Amino acid sequence: MLHSRKLILAHFWLAFIAFGAALLLGAWQMFVRSPLSGWISNPEWYYRSLTAHGTVMGYVFPTLVAMGFGYAITESSLKQNLIGRRWAWAGFLLILMGSVVAMVPVSMGLASVLYTFYPPMIGNPLYYIGVVLVVVGSWIWVGLMSINLRIWKKAHPGEAVPLAMFANVAGSYLWAWTAVGAALELLLQIIPVSLGLKSTIDAGLARVFFSWTLHAIVYFWLMPTYIAYYTIVPRAIGGRLYSDTMGRISFILFLVVAMPIGIHHAFADPQVGAGFKFIHSAFTALVALPTLLTVFTICASVEIAARLRGGRGPFGWVTALPWKNPIMLAVAFSFVMLGFGGAGGLINMSYQLDTTIHNTQWITGHFHLIFGGAIVIMYFAIAYDLWPHLTGRSLGSEWLMRTQLWLWFIGMIITTFPWHYVGILGMPRRMAFFDYTSPALQPEALSVAISAFGGFILVISGFLFLAILYRGQFGERNEPGSYSFAQALHMPQKVPAALNGYALWVALMIGLTVTNYGYPILQLALRNDTSVPAVYVGVQ
Amino acid sequence: MEEETELASSNKSWVVSAVGITLVLFAVSALLGFIIFPAAEGRESESLWASICRAAGLPVSSTVNTEGIQGTKVAIANAVPSIPPGESIGRGATLAQQCAICHGPTGVSRADAPNLAGQYPTVTYKQLRDFKDHVRVSAVMSPFAEHLTEENIQDLAAYYASLQRIELKTAKPGVAAPTIVVSGAPLRGIAPCGSCHGAIENKLGSPWLEGQSVVYLRNQLEAFAQGSRRNDVNEQMRNVARAMTQEEIEAAAQYYASKPHPPEI
Amino acid sequence: MADTHKHGQDIAVRTERNWAFVAILIIVGLAGMAAFAGIHQATMPQAVVETIDPTRLHLGGEFVEANLGSAVEADGSVTVRAIGQQYSFTPACILVPAQTPVTIRATSADVVHGLLVQGTNINTMLVPGYVSVQSATFKAPGEHLMPCQEFCSVGHEGMWGKVKVVSKDEFLSAMSNKKRVSCAP
Repeated sequence: MLHSRKLILAHFWLAFIAFGAALLLGAWQMFVRSPLSGWISNPEWYYRSLTAHGTVMGYVFPTLVAMGFGYAITESSLKQNLIGRRWAWAGFLLILMGSVVAMVPVSMGLASVLYTFYPPMIGNPLYYIGVVLVVVGSWIWVGLMSINLRIWKKAHPGEAVPLAMFANVAGSYLWAWTAVGAALELLLQIIPVSLGLKSTIDAGLARVFFSWTLHAIVYFWLMPTYIAYYTIVPRAIGGRLYSDTMGRISFILFLVVAMPIGIHHAFADPQVGAGFKFIHSAFTALVALPTLLTVFTICASVEIAARLRGGRGPFGWVTALPWKNPIMLAVAFSFVMLGFGGAGGLINMSYQLDTTIHNTQWITGHFHLIFGGAIVIMYFAIAYDLWPHLTGRSLGSEWLMRTQLWLWFIGMIITTFPWHYVGILGMPRRMAFFDYTSPALQPEALSVAISAFGGFILVISGFLFLAILYRGQFGERNEPGSYSFAQALHMPQKVPAALNGYALWVALMIGLTVTNYGYPILQLALRNDTSVPAVYVGVQ
Repeated sequence: MEEETELASSNKSWVVSAVGITLVLFAVSALLGFIIFPAAEGRESESLWASICRAAGLPVSSTVNTEGIQGTKVAIANAVPSIPPGESIGRGATLAQQCAICHGPTGVSRADAPNLAGQYPTVTYKQLRDFKDHVRVSAVMSPFAEHLTEENIQDLAAYYASLQRIELKTAKPGVAAPTIVVSGAPLRGIAPCGSCHGAIENKLGSPWLEGQSVVYLRNQLEAFAQGSRRNDVNEQMRNVARAMTQEEIEAAAQYYASKPHPPEI
Repeated sequence: MADTHKHGQDIAVRTERNWAFVAILIIVGLAGMAAFAGIHQATMPQAVVETIDPTRLHLGGEFVEANLGSAVEADGSVTVRAIGQQYSFTPACILVPAQTPVTIRATSADVVHGLLVQGTNINTMLVPGYVSVQSATFKAPGEHLMPCQEFCSVGHEGMWGKVKVVSKDEFLSAMSNKKRVSCAP
């Protein structure tokens, strides 16, 4: 039984409305830089739109989904009312405020620096302050998750924390720590320069700080998706979770190794030593482990569901799966996209292969496939699964939901596959237009046009999703009962204390941050000859 | 009670193995990254300690001495103070009397010399310094600039920046912006003019161009293209001008000359 | 009943453990491949971190205008020095010989840029304050586009340079009695 329904709905609605708006911007960008459109008369509009798209999709949308889902997990898995609901609303309002404060200068063209900031370019201070407000709002959520779990543990000594909550709190701690990198960059470096208190900035150091955030933020986006894999999917398709312990180990591995590997984003940077690049590369290989474990566990869990439904044979069981169930469809699409995206990720993480595609459109294709594809399609599934419990009404036609998921999957494949291809041809990212009349760029024209069509399909799917949720607010009244999570096939008799708490893992995460980031940061921070003049944008 | 001890002891083994595995992983990757790889690069006569520092990324300053510097001697970032000192503008006004013949008493030229009223101070400063340093040459300007001191140049830059940008009578409204101005020519390495010169964004050191004389604009673009003017920093403007066609130079000059207003401050 | 449950659980744990072992093998294999490639010098990250003042590049040091472009070293290799700035590379066209080791040394005069030569593995960031170094050997004569691959503000879409690869002989004759050479118009 969910008590804080309004709170959770507010988070989801704000998340999805922001998502819809940013999706439109994204599709417009794909269109204007494709051969389907003439060159825009002011390239700055493109970069303005790109800044808004990235900021909303990267900072606002997934954060709100994780928060709303986290509150729902707290109440349903711990079976206790959320403690600190007022604080939760305060966090929500901070995010709303931060988003508005950040988007005003962006829409006026005063902060077209992209969501990755890119100092020494410096935009309007309100943009950065808005982003900080969003992060601070999400930190309130981190605190609440921790407090709620602690109170529950006190009341239930000796009991194992339910997997959903265990993973949820692990995700919140990961976010709390990984956001620190960008926060340091903003508070110590960018905002003072943006306010005019300083006029120089170390661009290399800023890139190191940002890499601290940039990789693990993807795992923070991923957390709700993985929680859904483990705790929603087996239940929704009538199966069991293969292993509770493996789930815990996967989430802990994410917590420990997702963050101290970010310098692989700086492989091509001149300000980091080769030794640290190698260390980060080695630890990056490690982060594939929890995903490989998850793929096994979830496939096994899905197989259990199929066999319970009478599925037979080494592969024949696949046909016995409930394919009409939107959750089943979503997880299958998600896995296909995760597979392709993960294979691309293996290429990005190796220094030698990365040189071919670094900062080409391959990278944009890659993270749209992983985030926009594998992750976001499970956000849809989470919303479909939770909605009746939030509105007390049935969500209506599963046929519409399946159509929406199919469109998203097809749209994402059509968008990202050509995107990868032109990346291999060496097409750079983030350009407002391209001269396709040149023989050198002609081979890219068709792919870019196809990719833009994929973008249109995604817009249709995205708005169908919003329409389904909106209709769900006015559907038939229907009390769906309590919200539950998947049961493990063999519930472990005893969960090791280490897999029931975080102290050890948080300590390892911080320890690895010190070993992997300490020196690269300090050696630049302590020098005074690496700062360069700020280049203010949006000023005449 | 018994349960608790059991939990605690099993936790200890987790701590030992988790910390142990992490340490081993770090040690192995550090050994490879800091010792084995740098050694494999085979730099002779490098001590172990030096190669570790190198792999860690300890910065070295790039120090190469080169003679024969011919370009501008101005470092644009800090060329002029953000707020000019009190008497600077007044002193500049006095000095500017000798400029009025060509550049007009209000900083608006009646000949084909550039209008200076409201021009960015960095721009005026840099050009005067370049004339004085003989890196930009003009039969008319060079003799004037030669006698100016650093303070004179700062004062003149501050004075002209303080003058109001006024509407120009030479304007011919209605000239449509040509492609070269709006979109540039990407594959020839030409960005839209406005991405430095103000319609889209202003880059420090780049002048606004609206309402300047068509003759002056055309001459300067041609001089950059032919290399007879080379005081732009790192060939920034020569790269663009050399890639422009004669028609594009003409179109850009005509377009900027036709604009009635310098940008509002 | 309890027995079959226990039996099932044992199988589950064993299967899971085997898979974890395979997963670890995959990862060790991948990391090993990276290490192997590193030791055998397929491509390695730049060896030294070098700092430089971007506001004074034109006032002295290795990136002054007269020193930009391609130069022949004593050992016969070629060093190319280049600058990225809003919104062009200098030299705008880089001239290099085929089948000759080339070292590119480049930096930025203002914001973060990127230097990517299409159809090759040359791909590096240009961060103001630091010098980027990349080594390459061009196989055959031809032309490559060299776009800036990092957003560097509103003119980014117009920042395209070129690399022209010519035969060794052609390069040496272009080089004759010059200290630095480029193919900028």
